[in-house]
Amino acid sequence: MNQQRVILITGTSRGIGLGLARHYLKLGDTVCGCSRAESAIDEPGYTHFGLDVADEPRVVAMVRSVARKHGRIDVLINNAGIASMNHALLSTGATAKSIFATNFHGTFLFCREVAKVMIRRKTGRIINFTTVATPLRLEGESLYAASKAAVESLTEVFARELGPTGVTVNAVGPTPTPTDLIKSVPKAKMDALLARQAIAKLGSIEDVINVVDFFASPRSAFVTGQVVYLGGVVG
Amino acid sequence: MDTSSIVSADSVREVIVETLPPGIDQQGRIFGGDAPLDSLGLVNFLADLEYKLAERFGRDLVLASERAMSRKNSPFRDVAALTDYVVELLGE
Repeated sequence: MNQQRVILITGTSRGIGLGLARHYLKLGDTVCGCSRAESAIDEPGYTHFGLDVADEPRVVAMVRSVARKHGRIDVLINNAGIASMNHALLSTGATAKSIFATNFHGTFLFCREVAKVMIRRKTGRIINFTTVATPLRLEGESLYAASKAAVESLTEVFARELGPTGVTVNAVGPTPTPTDLIKSVPKAKMDALLARQAIAKLGSIEDVINVVDFFASPRSAFVTGQVVYLGGVVG
Repeated sequence: MDTSSIVSADSVREVIVETLPPGIDQQGRIFGGDAPLDSLGLVNFLADLEYKLAERFGRDLVLASERAMSRKNSPFRDVAALTDYVVELLGE
């Protein structure tokens, strides 16, 4: 039932995005991915676009190229994201702009463009990425958490606006997972963060895939505007 | 696909009229005032129109642009205004 979907995933060069791309390719889906870096995947069924998710003309061109080639996009996974751990008073304006450009602006552009493709077929699944840093109000993550709070609002309002169209919009909030995004976080800080989760451990890419699979399922047509955090974190 | 560099208003108007949702008079209002299209109807129409304009003219336009949104008179109000607006975008 899940076979042969056309799935667009942002940020597929590493980490969770790479894991998601490999997962769906293994299931037989067609995957179109993008990242600023070169493709890390060389498999049939995968097409890579080199771009910055905040570059509007490039995003428009990618989405319409995928729609023209395949005639549809079944699932959008807005995974691309960057973080910068620092005290708010030590953070620069340039860092704030950069984090919001990738995390919020990029998510918005892909939601808008892919939704235009999906509403023509009156079906589709959009899955955005937030973080447990937002509900935990995590110290040192003010810019990252704020950008993801914006993604959560975007998800909830998009879900309402697209409610009548058959397109669902949800978000998953992973705990820290062993990816590049957290490699510079000191162990003591990481332990303190994990202690605030109901299940105090690092998550895995498989944990994230499980929630994405649920939102992406054709059976989840009545699930929209939801944010699911992993690790027992409550929003 | 029309690959000529100058796109005629007639060919743009033709695509717009072909794309108009049922019940919209090509002489009347598309959006605003007493037009029958609501916001979601406009969204659906513009998504269809972007797709068909790309098929016909080979250009990926974003119709809900800064320029459209900042105008005093909406370029989406009727077929004539929308035709002028699309010709302008295609001419860039």
